Amino acid sequence: MKKFLALLLAAVMCLGLLAGCGPKDSGESTPPADNSTAPSEAPASQEVFENKVILGDTTELGGDFRFPGWGGSSAGASDQAIWFLTAGYAAMESDQGGAYQWNQTVVKDHSEKDNDDGSRTYTVTIKEGLKFSDGSPITAKNYLAEVMAFSSAVCVQASRSGMSGQSLVGFSDYNKYTGPDSAEGAKEFSGVRLLDEYTYELTVAPEQVSYFSYTTPALYPYPLALPLGDGVDIMDDGNGCYLTENFYEKNGDEYVKAQEMLDNRYDVTKFPFSGPYVISEWDSGTSQATLTINPEYQGNFEGQKPSIETIVYTRIISETQLAQLQSGGVDVLANITGGEETKAALAIVDGEKFNETHYQRAGYGKLEFECDFGPTMFQEVRQAVAYLLNRNEFCQTFTGGYGVVVDGPYSPDFSMWQAVQDEIDLIDYSYSPDTAIKVLEEGGWIYNSKGEPYVAGATGVDAVRYKKLTAEEANAVTGDGTEGVNKTYESVANTDGVTYKTVEINGEYYMPLAINWFGTDENTVTDMLTTSLANSADVAAAGMVVRSTRGDFNMLLGNIYRDSSMGYAGTPLYGLYNLATGWNSAVYDYSWNWSLDPAYFDYSSNKVYDEYDKAFPYDLNGEKLTYEEAMEASGGKLGMDYLSMAMVYNAVTEDEYNQWWMGYIERWNELMPDIPLYSNYYYDVYNAKIENFHTSPFFNQNRAIIYANVKGF
Amino acid sequence: MGKYVVKRLAYMLLVLVILSFVMFFVYSLIPFDRAVAEADTFKQGMKNNPNGPQLYQERIEQLRRELGTDQNVFVRYLGWLGLGPINGKYNGIFQGNWGYSYEYDRPVTQVLAEPMKNTVFINIFATIFGLGITIPLGILCATKRGSRLDTGVQVATIVGYSIPVFIISIVFIWLFAIKLGWFPVSGMKTPGSNFTGIEELKDRLYYMALPLIVMTFSSLGGMTRYTRAAMSEALSLDCIRTARAKGLRERVVVYSHAFRNALIPIITMVIGWFTGIFYGSIVVENIFGLNGVGRIYIMSLNKKDFEVVLLLQMFYVVIGLVGNLVVDLAYGLADPRVRVNK
Repeated sequence: MKKFLALLLAAVMCLGLLAGCGPKDSGESTPPADNSTAPSEAPASQEVFENKVILGDTTELGGDFRFPGWGGSSAGASDQAIWFLTAGYAAMESDQGGAYQWNQTVVKDHSEKDNDDGSRTYTVTIKEGLKFSDGSPITAKNYLAEVMAFSSAVCVQASRSGMSGQSLVGFSDYNKYTGPDSAEGAKEFSGVRLLDEYTYELTVAPEQVSYFSYTTPALYPYPLALPLGDGVDIMDDGNGCYLTENFYEKNGDEYVKAQEMLDNRYDVTKFPFSGPYVISEWDSGTSQATLTINPEYQGNFEGQKPSIETIVYTRIISETQLAQLQSGGVDVLANITGGEETKAALAIVDGEKFNETHYQRAGYGKLEFECDFGPTMFQEVRQAVAYLLNRNEFCQTFTGGYGVVVDGPYSPDFSMWQAVQDEIDLIDYSYSPDTAIKVLEEGGWIYNSKGEPYVAGATGVDAVRYKKLTAEEANAVTGDGTEGVNKTYESVANTDGVTYKTVEINGEYYMPLAINWFGTDENTVTDMLTTSLANSADVAAAGMVVRSTRGDFNMLLGNIYRDSSMGYAGTPLYGLYNLATGWNSAVYDYSWNWSLDPAYFDYSSNKVYDEYDKAFPYDLNGEKLTYEEAMEASGGKLGMDYLSMAMVYNAVTEDEYNQWWMGYIERWNELMPDIPLYSNYYYDVYNAKIENFHTSPFFNQNRAIIYANVKGF
Repeated sequence: MGKYVVKRLAYMLLVLVILSFVMFFVYSLIPFDRAVAEADTFKQGMKNNPNGPQLYQERIEQLRRELGTDQNVFVRYLGWLGLGPINGKYNGIFQGNWGYSYEYDRPVTQVLAEPMKNTVFINIFATIFGLGITIPLGILCATKRGSRLDTGVQVATIVGYSIPVFIISIVFIWLFAIKLGWFPVSGMKTPGSNFTGIEELKDRLYYMALPLIVMTFSSLGGMTRYTRAAMSEALSLDCIRTARAKGLRERVVVYSHAFRNALIPIITMVIGWFTGIFYGSIVVENIFGLNGVGRIYIMSLNKKDFEVVLLLQMFYVVIGLVGNLVVDLAYGLADPRVRVNK
């Protein structure tokens, strides 16, 4: 045994010696310039820190830093973080509250004009003297480079959508233009103008002018050759911007610049940066990036410049992240959530070595209903589920007390919420099984499977309530056009041998209160819901059953999208899913998501077709009523589609927008297409050597870090 | 011998073709539409466009044409190989296109290059350390069978063998990285360092040391017991008794006679280990934050990035088939009785 231990120890020591390891060096970091080391931890009284911070994320850096996620399904969070830190000088930037602000460092002047044809023109003049990290000047052309490149036919050939400027006048013609020999389209992009060296103009097409059009001029400057390829220039002869002919140069059938676009995407050295930091080293082998201050950067929308000289971005391992923080492997752990994780993280916060900052997440975990078939198409059923769930207890258990319950699709940090919170009138869905039963009875869920009055405590197929369907309800066609679903509706995953199904009695249909729920595997929320919903005594006592099916997230999406290529069986089965949702900014636009038009089925996550909208539909080309006018005209019954459309297409001022928003939240709260379960707090725990570090739901560590400094700097 | 190798190579090729189709077919059965996934961001961007729904559907169709997912599985398979056109182009393995990762948005070979280097780097050390410890230890236990040392090792190896590698990882991180502070918790290099040459290698080894210790430790049990069993059997052969009776030194008896007789089963394991240097360890790579193929493999599976998975699996099939051939040939070298010559 001794020999075995000796052998093992010898191997360990060999490695240690080979690696030159030792506890004193383990947490030390090395500045790029001279490889010298400096202690990161020392007695508090003599602490001298290096002006460097190590940030990280649990996702891996992929090197896609120039246009993260361009044209793909999603951007890696870490790649996006590097982009945030290295791309700057946008004409508008979102602030700590998520609202877009004109960038005072960049914009000299800006104006907005409504044209006679209904289009809206935004004119922006940038300041002279702005420079990229290599000292080259930034002009208006740099702001237009991306929209010109990514709206072109060349971009389409690079297998991207090429729809960047789709909301602007003249897009369609410009997008079709294939070069000097083009049989169709137009060389000029008439909605994009280069007025002088420092002034650009964008005109939004009449049919796309909305409340949020004001974010249209929020363009970032890029070196021309980065999105356009070498030697291409942007010109304007008075009819709109166009690109020089070499942009459309072909090699056989292929655009030369299409490949250049794709290659440039992964560049870190050829082109300069416009943001607070530049990438000084990118190591794809170890997946680590080192950023240093961009000496030419003059500040963000508030004129804020970074103080921390070096930022290293690395990967965090969630299982060992606290140990990483304590050993100096990382300086900030962001977005810590969940009861146990938060408690463990806060246990090391002492104000001396580690500090914390926290905020309520702009989003929530939720139950999402399908509202076009089955029991969940009925408002009273959705409301009853809300009353039957003890959401406060659920939230307390799941978040460990680090979370709250909300009653609608909003974040308390939204300026809209703050503006209307004293005025808004929301239904309180506090836990109340009695109210659930009352709501169900009022909704007509009073029968058993024989069409007789429901008797509490019955067994078999009569353990649940039934509702007599009207002819319209029985024959309802789902949003994707499936007919007869309600007549054949039945419960799935019937592990107890009882199948609840719609029954026909004397030509009338009775639907059972059996909800098919699909939850994702390996999900704590799914596990908890199994206890608090599927196996709940309150649910059973209310005459309801929730049948649970588990699967992967892709299968869940396939059923929501009703897409057979993603595992959807062809007939809607599930009326309930558990998911989460969130917002990255205060741009709150749910227009078209509640449309009655079947063409917009793909945009409807809940498939709510509001009765109020059928009675008083929204007309995009009609008169733009104010909230009061619309309420009066509809008899106080504005539907989800009307409210969400008017919020974006009728509102002009912020007050108007807030008013529509309040109406929307109230109607949503009444219809309850989702049940918010928990809105957790996010904690950012960080090394106390960092000062002035303040994050918010819309201002994460990558944005907040330029306001922070290392002690002594 | 040459004829045998040629025959085996032909057989390997056949197996490779069959397996490639089987795997391609199995992945095609998984309900997932890359075109829909890729078009999702586009859908959101087009929401306010009056033709949004139509443009979204057109985008999906366009992507399906480009990806070939509008074709049946046979056409797609031929397209993947480069023997048939996808969207009018021959662009498959035979044309040098080893696949495309849609999650990383770049060719699969680029996605796998660095992780493969890292995996091979750490596995080479783990294999050398593992074999360097287990084979001598197994021999020692076999020669001292029934001793306190042997009993102790038997107990230790069965315990080590029974503990999952993620438990060993967590315990070792707690002990060596957190309590003793000898090694970093995770990562692959000192954050922000730009070492070169020997300093870079030292830094790399310093970060690799703990995962390497975990991998070595985790592998000790199996191989030690295997070697011990093979050696014990060999030491009980008549020829060994004869060798001892002839008065040969114990060292010669053990290493020249017994060990050679024990080699056949050990060779299978040893060559398996060496072919295994290309296999990533999902658990170790994830816990220690190593950019290796094991992590890429599981991530690609989770994200339905099947071209990455397919190429990796095909690579492993090739490695496995070549490994089997090498094992068969090595048997002949170790034991003339099983030498292949036809």
